[in-house]
Amino acid sequence: MRILVVDDDSLNRFLLMHMLEQQGYTDTLEAADGITAIKLAEQFQPDLILLDVIMPGMDGYEVAKILKHEAGDIYLPIIFITGLDNESALVKCLEVGGDDFVAKPFDKVVLSAKIRAHARTRQLSRKAYEQNKQLTFYQNAIEREHQIVEHIFSNALATDEFYTDYIDHCLEPATDFNGDLFLACASPTGGFYFLIGDFTGHGLASAIGAIPVSQAFQAMSRKGLSLMEMAETINKILLSLLPDEMFFAALIVEVSCTGKHIDVWNGGMPALLLQDTNGDIVNRYESRHMALGILEVHEFESEVERSEISYGQRLIGFSDGIVELQTPSGEMLGESGFETWLVEKPGIDIKELLTKADCFLAGEERKDDVTMVIYTSQMLEPVTRVADESKLPIKITSKIPPEYMKISDPIIELVNIVTNELGLFGIHSELFTILSELYNNALEHGLLNLDSSLKQSEDGFLEYYSLREQKLASLENAFIEITIEYFPEHKKLGLQIVDSGKGFDHAKTTEVTSVENAYGRGISLVKELCESVKYSNHGNTVDVMFAL
Amino acid sequence: MSLEREFSEDKKQLTIMMSERFDFSLVQEFRSAYSNDTDTVNAIVVDLQVTEYMDSSALGMLLNMQKVLDKQVSSYKITNCRPQVLKILRIARFSKKFNIC
Repeated sequence: MRILVVDDDSLNRFLLMHMLEQQGYTDTLEAADGITAIKLAEQFQPDLILLDVIMPGMDGYEVAKILKHEAGDIYLPIIFITGLDNESALVKCLEVGGDDFVAKPFDKVVLSAKIRAHARTRQLSRKAYEQNKQLTFYQNAIEREHQIVEHIFSNALATDEFYTDYIDHCLEPATDFNGDLFLACASPTGGFYFLIGDFTGHGLASAIGAIPVSQAFQAMSRKGLSLMEMAETINKILLSLLPDEMFFAALIVEVSCTGKHIDVWNGGMPALLLQDTNGDIVNRYESRHMALGILEVHEFESEVERSEISYGQRLIGFSDGIVELQTPSGEMLGESGFETWLVEKPGIDIKELLTKADCFLAGEERKDDVTMVIYTSQMLEPVTRVADESKLPIKITSKIPPEYMKISDPIIELVNIVTNELGLFGIHSELFTILSELYNNALEHGLLNLDSSLKQSEDGFLEYYSLREQKLASLENAFIEITIEYFPEHKKLGLQIVDSGKGFDHAKTTEVTSVENAYGRGISLVKELCESVKYSNHGNTVDVMFAL
Repeated sequence: MSLEREFSEDKKQLTIMMSERFDFSLVQEFRSAYSNDTDTVNAIVVDLQVTEYMDSSALGMLLNMQKVLDKQVSSYKITNCRPQVLKILRIARFSKKFNIC
């Protein structure tokens, strides 16, 4: 506790200093005039000032003003020690910024009591100041972090804009961060997917889960996976990420390349509505599952509803933010209220719905995020399935030894390499079928000399495959070489499979057989899927060309 | 991953849910799925919802099933095909023998 005594009278200063010392205040400074007092205050930052009013030069009133101003945000108590006793002089002491006054000659007990009281206030003020400083610091830090997260968000959630032609949507957050999520992504098979979701709560905490969901959704969309797998995967991701009390209600829809075959998976979202051109709601795809991030993997149900809709019909999906809108009097819109809006004006778009929502709220704050999506069924422009493919001509060759054939099947691995590395996601199923047929022919007929006609009966079929296993187990000194060459300019894949066997009568295996036969359709499948199929070298080499 | 199966309440319909990959590696399992405890079954549904990879051995297995259950089962459905898988079934003209939807 540092005290500054300001008085032009040295006797007065002496008395005050003496009293202070008696009270235990040893950290004291003294000034004989205003200018010195201001200098000392600036240099030593006293905690309390005892100030004389009448001094030559600058008087106490003026000094008080300056000292108060310099003191800034922390309370600096100034107690006037004055010989004046008229009311107006005392009032002025307080008006110029003084906090108290004591008459000369001063009463020791009263003065020291006042000093203690003001010291306490100074202490409180300092504490509040420190806390304020800390709060400001935290606030700035949080703002900065929000900015960073927002940046990450806008990048992570950016999806291709192709869907704007087909989908009308809005995502209106209640706070900076959305608990709601809307994602859309083209499928390599010519259709597209969209997802509307709602994390429990809103704000930053609920938005955090959006990043992994969106990344997984995009990766799976690009591969053209089924909704079942999507729902399962997202559930698994969220189960491991989210705390127990948090989960993610989601509606996932796949629209096929025809634009009218749809798959719906709804877990915990309001029903997806199907609206006829005349305005009637003709179907409601209700929630059939629990929200994502709750059920353990083995409990999880992923069945999907599949249906065919007609061109012109509209699918309308939304989060509960819209149906839980409340008027100032507490009346809730509800699903039926929302449907009424749709039925009243069959072609109503999102913008009009939002205007309706504002009217309904009548000035009331929205409490939750509002997300709406409308897809109008129509012919889809074919989305090219090799949009992000590599431009680099690439040739990969794998020479597969018998040891590998015994333990594993190289086809899936090769398909993954080609689709992932070259960005050719849409072709995985076809490429698998082609390579699998050619590889199995090379192995079963080229290397193992198995006879397909065994497969005529069910028992023979099984015998064929157990024979395959036996013969493969003792296979030595052989290889199958698979070469995949990518021609980006012609958008083609050349595949070559060479085996080290004695050769086999490929003509026999290429016979087109009747639909009843349980075997012999492998090569005809390949022929239908590929532009050309050419056997050479006694059937040991086969070249096919596959158009992307 | 392997396949799963499910019976309707009256035990008349059997649904076999295939896994991501449907080829000869499932030959035993698929056979058991349609031959064990299936005396009451007269309709079979093969659900290909998650099947991405299929080759001609799978086609052979489906036809074998039909041959074996010829007298007992009158309705065969293949449901929820991915578009890529549908293409293969179409090329193989499976719609002549199966109700594909």
